[in-house]
Amino acid sequence: MSLLSILGVISSAIFSGTSLLYTTWGEILDERAGIVNLGLEGVLLVSASTGFAVAARSGNPYIGVLAAMLAGGLMNLLFGFMVITRRANQLASGLALMFFGFGLSALIGKPYTGTMIKGMPRFIFPGLAGIPALSTSQFKFDVLIYLAVPITILIWWLLFRTRWGLSLRAVGENANTAFAAGYNPRLIQYQTLFVCGLLTGLGAAHLSIAWTMTWAEYMTAGRGFIAVALVIFSKWHPVRAIAGALLFGGAVAFQLLLQAMGIAISPFLLDTIPYILTLLVLIAWGGTRRHAAPASLGRVYQGSE
Amino acid sequence: MKNKLIHSTLAIVMVAAVLLAACGPAATPVPLETSAPVEPTVAPTEVPTEAPPCLTIGALYVGSVNDAGYNQAMHDGLMEVQNNIPCVKIIEAENIWEGPAAETTMETMIQEGASLIFATSFGHQEPAMNVAKKHPDVIFEHAGGWMMDANFANFYGKPPETFYLMGVAAGLMTQSNKLGFVAAMPLGWTLTFVNSFELGAQSVNPDAETIVTFTGSWSDRAKEAAATDALINQGVDVVTMHVDSPATVIQTAEARGVYSIGFQSLAAQQFAPEYWISGAGFTFGGLMTGMAQDVIDGKWEPQFIRCGVADGCMAIAPFGPKVPQEVQDKFNAVLAELEGGTLVLFKGPIVDQDGTIRVPEGEVLSDEDMGNVDWFVKGVIGQPK
Repeated sequence: MSLLSILGVISSAIFSGTSLLYTTWGEILDERAGIVNLGLEGVLLVSASTGFAVAARSGNPYIGVLAAMLAGGLMNLLFGFMVITRRANQLASGLALMFFGFGLSALIGKPYTGTMIKGMPRFIFPGLAGIPALSTSQFKFDVLIYLAVPITILIWWLLFRTRWGLSLRAVGENANTAFAAGYNPRLIQYQTLFVCGLLTGLGAAHLSIAWTMTWAEYMTAGRGFIAVALVIFSKWHPVRAIAGALLFGGAVAFQLLLQAMGIAISPFLLDTIPYILTLLVLIAWGGTRRHAAPASLGRVYQGSE
Repeated sequence: MKNKLIHSTLAIVMVAAVLLAACGPAATPVPLETSAPVEPTVAPTEVPTEAPPCLTIGALYVGSVNDAGYNQAMHDGLMEVQNNIPCVKIIEAENIWEGPAAETTMETMIQEGASLIFATSFGHQEPAMNVAKKHPDVIFEHAGGWMMDANFANFYGKPPETFYLMGVAAGLMTQSNKLGFVAAMPLGWTLTFVNSFELGAQSVNPDAETIVTFTGSWSDRAKEAAATDALINQGVDVVTMHVDSPATVIQTAEARGVYSIGFQSLAAQQFAPEYWISGAGFTFGGLMTGMAQDVIDGKWEPQFIRCGVADGCMAIAPFGPKVPQEVQDKFNAVLAELEGGTLVLFKGPIVDQDGTIRVPEGEVLSDEDMGNVDWFVKGVIGQPK
């Protein structure tokens, strides 16, 4: 396995992991505020199809990205209406959202399935162009991937260094106490869901506009659920989410590399590697006392009336 | 209390609206509805506003008809039938998964009066056969399989010959001597396509190797992008594919500056303005028109059809801008052999990856055997099962 192959796996991991990473960040914020969103798959699909459709119509991929973010935010607000205002069960609402997303995304994306869009330029990070091993086409990334670095810092700062982040975490631990302290749990949860939607939309935009440059029904292939698993793997911390996303993306790239090297294992078996890996890390790192889930995760805030 | 009433009403109204919308025609626009199918004991209660169609055709696709790939090619064939025989009515159903949903869809089409059904995806075969057994008066044409019955026939193109041709082009254009093939699943026909691609490349470039990666699905775009990347990272400089839509593979190759060869539909060329070499597409319009006309005339007989470039069922795309004249000339020479019928594929001796002789000297691999292949030719890197 040459250096080129390893670099190839890393490059591919970054490409396929970025959409997962954004989605995981969104879900981390969500779950820190006490809401489990199982409908991420649907949100991803609707954002991806909307973003792709807008990019195809307008001819500008960046407008498509914005549209995807907005679509994600709106889908999540819908979810918020169900679980915050109507106080429905979060898990069931999430699944309903997912199925709704399947249908809506297919409807939106139908006319654009075989359309070609203007993609985003891929370039090497300016400083790294000098290093020969890294200056191949493998390490030409699009702007959304590079954006992940400042966004990591932004999310960490938001969650751990701002008052809003503090109130978010407080609501996730115990909404009643947060209410008693003067915060408005409902408003905070709505805001968190919208931000989560924006991030998920960004991830979806990367998937359909920047990376594959196509739209096909159900193209997310379970990424929404993988994100929910990765949130647990990353112990609700945005920086550790990067490791999780790279791990999963790397596993997909690795099994394809094994195939391309001609290894004598059935391709069906190799295909399961990423998912088995996700299972294994969940079993190994599942739940320790030190990094437990937010205490009110999944509990519907009933309010004080 | 009032809050709950408002929200319940709203919910019911929304669900009703969605259901009513869904109960409309689910497919692409088709000619006007007609009166009920002929029933000898009951006279129609209303006068039809126009003549009933001479034939109602149902078509199932596993993907979307605008995927610039297999489903689009099949759809284009059906649309040609519509053009050639204006009195037919075509009911199309897209994204029909290869399972029970296919059976229900076909049953619905038969209820709507379909007497000829095109089950276009490989995995629609069993569901179609199940429905065929229950409706002996409905004709079924399946694409890409092997089953036959009194009212069930199979047709397909001859991709092995076009892949051989594409292999010739790839073998001449490659500089790294590594060719890439992104495939969906290790089915017999897929392996045959890979084999003929490699044999075509070897005929002009004995050192050419083909690396195969499987995505596990006919249409997993993210996997296809990752698979193409993996192949290119291994040094491949020409890629081709056997998945439903070539769009993602070609776009990824184009973004990395790698040559691509298309398959399924000639519409694929638009995705690679620079690095396109050539491609093959299915053009079943003529064949399907013949089948429909036979059903209308009552002359339909179950036939196992494999038709290729010479019969008009497959077409070759124009060359891309980077293909030099010598390559074009050599390509056209082999194409002439193909059209003239003098090109023989899989002529022995053919050796597989482990060195076993699969086709002895003096023999030729039959069409039937091509569909049951479970080995790769020497020179292919990949796992056939």
